[in-house]
Amino acid sequence: MSAKQSPLIEIETPVLRPGSDGQALFWMQEYAFCVHLNLRGDSSSSAFSEAVNAFSGIALPEHPNTCVSSEHCRVAWLGPDEWLLIGADEEFGVATLEDRLAPLHHALTDLSGGQTILRVGGENWRDVLASACPLDLHPRVFGEGACAQTMIAHTNALLIPLRDPNRDEAVDIVVRRSFADHLARWLMDAAAESGFEFLAPVGSP
Amino acid sequence: MLQIECPWCGGRDQEEFQYGGEAHIVRPDNPESLTDTQWADYLFNRANVKGVHAEQWCHAAGCRRWFNVLRDTVSYKILAVYRPGEQPPGGEE
Repeated sequence: MSAKQSPLIEIETPVLRPGSDGQALFWMQEYAFCVHLNLRGDSSSSAFSEAVNAFSGIALPEHPNTCVSSEHCRVAWLGPDEWLLIGADEEFGVATLEDRLAPLHHALTDLSGGQTILRVGGENWRDVLASACPLDLHPRVFGEGACAQTMIAHTNALLIPLRDPNRDEAVDIVVRRSFADHLARWLMDAAAESGFEFLAPVGSP
Repeated sequence: MLQIECPWCGGRDQEEFQYGGEAHIVRPDNPESLTDTQWADYLFNRANVKGVHAEQWCHAAGCRRWFNVLRDTVSYKILAVYRPGEQPPGGEE
């Protein structure tokens, strides 16, 4: 009865709409149902860092606007005492980390149901996003290993540039679930000229 | 549009920030011992300077941290940015 539903359920995928020159230079695919954990604490406390490290296998990034990835987990810097942990599988659970952190000063919030990831890429992705995003997206300052919280089309979003194993350079847009439909439709409109392809969501039941 | 240097995230567009009014206003230790005039002064009255103004900003769409900015209210030029709890550079008030 309570099957999970992608926030983009109203948008039919896959869809391919070539632009004026017959090409599709922009693509988008949702990564639904990932585990998102918001973690706050003092990274200068070694007990805190070690507990997180033992759970994720990743040392917390302390440099602003950086993101560290391992095979099954990503940790993005959100603030001097705040991080977002993104895991792909269900076993990457909030309870395990909560157990490890229990004796320490911290705040751990499971945001899995409230956020989703739109992965976008293609030759034109920087131009498409730049039409309503104030962030400098040039590869010289915004490439793999970086991350940034900003606004896209009036929507708060976390951007994580990466190299997609199948489709080369891409960026993950971590966005509130309730804004995902608006953002996806805005991307459709912004990418209409260059042509776009929306792929079926991954992680959808 | 201003370009504001967040102490953590670096230079970002003003669209990402929220203005928080005059900085360095300290809440009185014993509010109950103040007269109405003194309390109103703390609550409502602001310097409204023409020139260099110390003010609070929050990087609302970014790291969500508050910080202080020294800004010239005539030219809108941002002269300095510093973290909460720090004193303005140059000893200005």
